[in-house]
Amino acid sequence: MDAHTPGYYYPPKLRIGQQDLKCRQGCGFYGNTQFDGLCSKCFRERNDKQRKKLKACEDEAAQSSGASAAIGTVERKSPQHLLSLGRSKSKKETEEARNAHTMPKKKFTVPAVLQKTLKSKLPAVAQQQPARVPSATENQFVLQLRQLRIPDEAKRKLKSEIQHLDYEICKYINSHSNLNIDELSELVQNAYTRFADIVHNDARFEIATNEDRDSAIDFFEKVVMTQNHNLLFSPYFTTDEECDVQVQKRIRQLSWITAKHLDCSIDEVNAEARDLVYNAISELVGIDSYYSPQEKLLCTVRCCRHIFELLKRATGGPASADDFLPALIFVVLKANPVRLHSNINFVNRFTNASRVMSGEGGYYFTNLCSAITFIETLNAESLSLGAEEFATLMSGEQAYSTPWESALLACESLHLISENMKCMEQLQKRNSTISTGIQDFERELIEFQREVTEKVDAAIAKAPLNLLPIKTPVHLISQARAHLTLEVATGHYQTNLLQSSLSTAGKAKALSTPDDSLLHPSHTLALKDTSINSMGRLSPLQQTAQQDQLFASPIFNYTPFDAVSLLEDSSENGDMPLLSTEFQGGLTNINYDFDLSDQSGENSAADESKLNLDEFDPLAQPNLVEANNLELGTTRGSLIDSEVPVSNVLLPSPLKPEVTNYRGFSNFNIPSISCNTGDSSSLSQDTNEAKAGVDSLK
Amino acid sequence: MSTRRTGSGPTLNFKAVLLGEGCVGKTSLVLRYMEDKFNTQHLSTLQASFVTKKVSLPDERRAQLNIWDTAGQERFHALGPIYYRGSDGALLVYDITDQDSFQKVKSWVRELKQMRGSEISLIIVGNKTDLEEQRAVSYETALRYAQTVGAQYVETSAKENEGVSELFELLTQLMLEHHGNKLQHDASSLRLQSGSSGIGISEDIDTDADNAGAAAEQRSCCGI
Repeated sequence: MDAHTPGYYYPPKLRIGQQDLKCRQGCGFYGNTQFDGLCSKCFRERNDKQRKKLKACEDEAAQSSGASAAIGTVERKSPQHLLSLGRSKSKKETEEARNAHTMPKKKFTVPAVLQKTLKSKLPAVAQQQPARVPSATENQFVLQLRQLRIPDEAKRKLKSEIQHLDYEICKYINSHSNLNIDELSELVQNAYTRFADIVHNDARFEIATNEDRDSAIDFFEKVVMTQNHNLLFSPYFTTDEECDVQVQKRIRQLSWITAKHLDCSIDEVNAEARDLVYNAISELVGIDSYYSPQEKLLCTVRCCRHIFELLKRATGGPASADDFLPALIFVVLKANPVRLHSNINFVNRFTNASRVMSGEGGYYFTNLCSAITFIETLNAESLSLGAEEFATLMSGEQAYSTPWESALLACESLHLISENMKCMEQLQKRNSTISTGIQDFERELIEFQREVTEKVDAAIAKAPLNLLPIKTPVHLISQARAHLTLEVATGHYQTNLLQSSLSTAGKAKALSTPDDSLLHPSHTLALKDTSINSMGRLSPLQQTAQQDQLFASPIFNYTPFDAVSLLEDSSENGDMPLLSTEFQGGLTNINYDFDLSDQSGENSAADESKLNLDEFDPLAQPNLVEANNLELGTTRGSLIDSEVPVSNVLLPSPLKPEVTNYRGFSNFNIPSISCNTGDSSSLSQDTNEAKAGVDSLK
Repeated sequence: MSTRRTGSGPTLNFKAVLLGEGCVGKTSLVLRYMEDKFNTQHLSTLQASFVTKKVSLPDERRAQLNIWDTAGQERFHALGPIYYRGSDGALLVYDITDQDSFQKVKSWVRELKQMRGSEISLIIVGNKTDLEEQRAVSYETALRYAQTVGAQYVETSAKENEGVSELFELLTQLMLEHHGNKLQHDASSLRLQSGSSGIGISEDIDTDADNAGAAAEQRSCCGI
């Protein structure tokens, strides 16, 4: 069986694409089916060419012998012409056959519309034209015949058989006054049988393979049926047409039937399923547009395959007949194909009987037949409905009441909406999962951060940064003390010195003015030690601070107390309330009483630290570490604000990437001894005390 | 089937319909049969309602077995005759745990006899022998009935794959015999071949062979 050949016939589609309307030559203009799918311009061009050819061939044609007659006979008149010209056919046919040999191609291309003009202009050609209606189909058949892989002899036999059957069909229809379609069917079936016999037993077909024999038989059937389609399809002497109308009406009456009534697993609301149903429907409707029974059967097969695809998706496995028949009935009901009975009968009567009895096509066709029978005979019982309900539904008095589904079926846009809603639902679901995922992730992140912090803290607690105090040689201390006692009455510095020396022995140096440091080389030595020490342990930043500190020492001598530093101080004092009162007081005291001069420099903290010399003292308070951290800050404001040791910013500690959350040492009371860099708290304490001392002095 | 190519074509074409109420396991039987001989991928094709299987006969010929599944629902019962047309064999499947399905088989047998007479080989299949403890139709009852209508009786289990391939072999053999009988007037060698093929294929249990004998008698009676 040949599938439809490209170019030969376009199967009908529910939707016609732009491309289908264009000229076949591809010139971009719209084509016209009357012009063989060409646009007017291309058509005329082609026609001109053919006319010239015709002229050239004319003489040859006249001279061509009858020996070649057999070849041309495959080209046949179209059926409608056969009907009218049937009686004179045999005579014309020989004539045709003669011409067909020489110009089989030219003839079919000359369109009917131009025949009249041809007649007047080219009388010789026109003489042959009326009997011959151009048809692409005929040409196609000739081509196919050539392609058949059977011996030439066999081809000739095939042609003559086709011709013979054609003739017999026409003879029967035209000669009998009392036409009977069954007789005609029998005639055709007998011809098939005879031909099959010939193909299998005739010597001319001997070398052909089985497949080739089959294709010869198929070809025979196809050609005869296509050529005689108009005669045999829904003939006027049958009741096919009435049946068509009846069944169509019936189906229209049954429009309320849904998949549920038939217990079939088609989900009418599902878009994918609906597409497949539409595919099946368009194939089913397309049956009517094919001429030969084989093609009609093929179309049925395609339709059913769509249904099986549909069922496979719905049920998840290969579908059985129990699922298939209801689905097919549903599709037939929804398709309501035209001329259903005519098509069925045509196939039943005129196709090779074995075709409908066996094979996939036969099976599906049989199912289609039974579906139609079911539709015609169905009653309330077969739909499991009450008799009354069925009657009212059939009469249309009551619309079937599944508002949701019927609305969906009625309105494509509602379909779309429902689909979109489904889509939206899915998206929403996905969205919510994403957002919960994000939240989880966030939580995890925080948890992770916390864990890391904890671990780092633990690690640090386990192995704290122990900055050991600088040990000052004992003799220096004693020297300093001696020196201080000498100068004890020289002003408030001495008072401070006195205070600190009272608390700690080492503080004596802390109170030493720049002058002192300059004056006492031993002291400067100590300072230097400090700086070197710190440089060894702390970051470069710290080092610079320390260096500043070093350089700062002479500045104490020269930098006067100026307005700028005062202003700065006052602004910094604004931050003071954030600090504990102890600090506050201490700091204010520093600013005013003690070392305002320091503030003039950029690194006031560093400068400040320089003054705090109690870290040199091995006996310094242990909790000075905190203050030490504070001191390391770059700006005083931030230090005061956060109250968090910023040392971690400056410390190049790889363990602690996060800064803000870090509580650092302040969380733990680490019993470490103060480091060399000095600290403001102790300073403030000291200054506090110093102030108190001053006050008391005053 | 008059138009079937038989004389020269080496391929015989048999059509068998599969009848039975819903849920008796018609489809499972077919699937099991196809699956065991073919690979599973072949089975996973679109559908299980129409299957063809090429069978090599002992005499070097090949037969194509077309098995047509039918819808078993009660509402489609009336459509049966459309399917029987031109069929060479029928498998009437019932569920041995379900008395109703057996009664349905009886009505089908009546219809088939009416329509096809002795043209058709009948095999009554009691499926689901794996549910022996729930059996509702005894083996004897079914066998007796089968004999009275000139049919074969086979019990199978599609689930356990018991007797499935035997069932289809028997079917092929029966249809082949029928075919041979039909062509006996041709005085061809076909009859002999069918006879020999019958022996060649038959690997069935003794009861089946006996049944075949009984069925043959029955058929000849019906054929008159």
